Amino acid sequence: MAALLLLLLTGVNAYEALTLPLEGKRLFNDMLMPGQVSAWFNTLMTGCTLLYVMLSGRDIRKVGNHVADYFALIFFTLCGLYILSSYNTLLMLFLGIEILSIPQYILAGADKRNLKSSEASLKYFLMGSFSTGILLMGIALLYGAMGTFHISEFSFPTTELFSPLALAGILLIVVAFGFKVSAAPMHLWTPDVYDGAPTPFASYMATVMKVAAFYAFIRLFHNSLGSVSNKWMLVIMIITAATLLIGNITAVFQQSVKRMLAYSSIAQAGFMLFAVLSVNELGRQSLIIYAVAYTLATVGMFTVLAKLKDYTYDGFNGLAKSNPMLAFATAIFIFSLAGIPLTGGFMAKYYAVSALMTQGNAMWLVLFGLLMAAVSVYYYFRVIWAMYFKPGTPQLHEPMTTTDNWLLLFTASLVILVGVAPQLVLAFA
Amino acid sequence: MQEALFWIVSFIAIACALGVVLSRNPVHSVLFLILTFFAISGHYILMNAQFLAIVNIIVYAGAIMVLFLFVIMLMNLNADAEPQKSRLVQFAGALSGGALFLVLLAAMRTAALSPLEKTTNDIGLVANLGKVLFTDYVLPFEISSVLFLSAMIGAIIIGKKGDAPNREVASGEQLDGMDNLVNTEQLSTGANANLPNAFTEADELEAIS
Repeated sequence: MAALLLLLLTGVNAYEALTLPLEGKRLFNDMLMPGQVSAWFNTLMTGCTLLYVMLSGRDIRKVGNHVADYFALIFFTLCGLYILSSYNTLLMLFLGIEILSIPQYILAGADKRNLKSSEASLKYFLMGSFSTGILLMGIALLYGAMGTFHISEFSFPTTELFSPLALAGILLIVVAFGFKVSAAPMHLWTPDVYDGAPTPFASYMATVMKVAAFYAFIRLFHNSLGSVSNKWMLVIMIITAATLLIGNITAVFQQSVKRMLAYSSIAQAGFMLFAVLSVNELGRQSLIIYAVAYTLATVGMFTVLAKLKDYTYDGFNGLAKSNPMLAFATAIFIFSLAGIPLTGGFMAKYYAVSALMTQGNAMWLVLFGLLMAAVSVYYYFRVIWAMYFKPGTPQLHEPMTTTDNWLLLFTASLVILVGVAPQLVLAFA
Repeated sequence: MQEALFWIVSFIAIACALGVVLSRNPVHSVLFLILTFFAISGHYILMNAQFLAIVNIIVYAGAIMVLFLFVIMLMNLNADAEPQKSRLVQFAGALSGGALFLVLLAAMRTAALSPLEKTTNDIGLVANLGKVLFTDYVLPFEISSVLFLSAMIGAIIIGKKGDAPNREVASGEQLDGMDNLVNTEQLSTGANANLPNAFTEADELEAIS
């Protein structure tokens, strides 16, 4: 049922992106300014959600007694995503972020029988509320400096006299966004929350919801603050470097694959921050392609993880012998996350790096990113090593059905498709 | 006269806000918070926003404060139960809080706010507010219903009994009142145990900001 509704939503979004003349249109007294790119982004993300629901619908049903509510919450987050992809005032930005976050707090604590899940929910809620407070403070300062909520009407003086009020506001907003996308100094919640939350919801939180926050980030910082990029560039550069460093280095030391994926999602956020740093057309395109490639691979990985009983690396031992198709799909997802050529992850990293090189003022960051990508290969390939070269019999919760197998293979083939023909994803971006 | 009132109300607000942070007893903190809300409502009245002032008192000083008091008394927090923080965390908190204070001070020092032009005297009345809410701001107004709906669903999911932690599914026994009591107690102790941890991390977050 949910899958059907999502299919319908994807169709409507695609129709909007393809046919409606959205460019430059302002809706609801300037509250929203959807464009073709936003509509296309919505289409892609709704499609990813459809795939996610089809892949892990059975796992969602096993989480607790309120299945209908879980699906309702997922739909609400999609509503938040649509607002975030087309907001034109800071008011709508705030509402969008909140509509995106509150269902996440609930989904994190959906497994009430598990104390870890409740802990994750509480921690996430407290820290998330704190970061919302910071966001509001930033919005208030920016409003004080600009005199308007409409981000398309922001005007900055070209002289040296830059309002410190606006600067402080931008800084606070960067911190709040950094929390939402789990960038480095604000990443502390990520491993605990993803580890504690039920696996199918951790998968959704790490992918579609994080990407939505990124799109909002880029929308504000490219469209309206892009002209003063020299003011905020350095802060985000440092955040990016710290995110890449902490995410990748800490992931190396993890024993549980679920925790490793949490740290890997921090590391991947570092690469997505490249897109924020590149204030140009290529930057936005790279975010969209990164969003799709990362979402497909991570949703796939979490789906595989939800099937296994043992979340450590040893739980994967000998998977290639007992479930060759599952192991093959996992290998494709891992290749994509590590950025091996011919997969979506490679194209995504390629676009991100080339966007930053076009920007041209952060070559050291590009080199650092490539170094960190090399580090990431180590911990990703430990999974492949366990699956193909270690003896063992992995414990599954229940035997794989043919539908499961074919869906996973379909997802894997989409990952390859994005890697071979990235222009398909960027058709309308 | 108005200026004098402004200074008095501002002084009360800041003093009470400091009292919230500095008092050792959580109940005193809450009482100070109520005073702060009253002072802020005074500011609203000075700005001719009567409706906002009333709503602020009803919602914050009324409903939310009662909730705060309930929670504090349920969890039996007092000065002795305060989690011990290490010197390092205290130092980091002071350092980063001070840094944020300096940034904001610098921002305020040179801020050139354009003075507000008071067009009419009845700008804060309910009629005008309603008109604006249903014309210019109709989308945020309606969209926030989605926000509240998801919050309500969350409250129901989390608050509904029947799948509390440590439930013995295998025994198949009907949960009676006693069992439920035990379960809630376990839940609250679990939350208590987690709280200090969560707060330290929130402090770290503060430290970073």
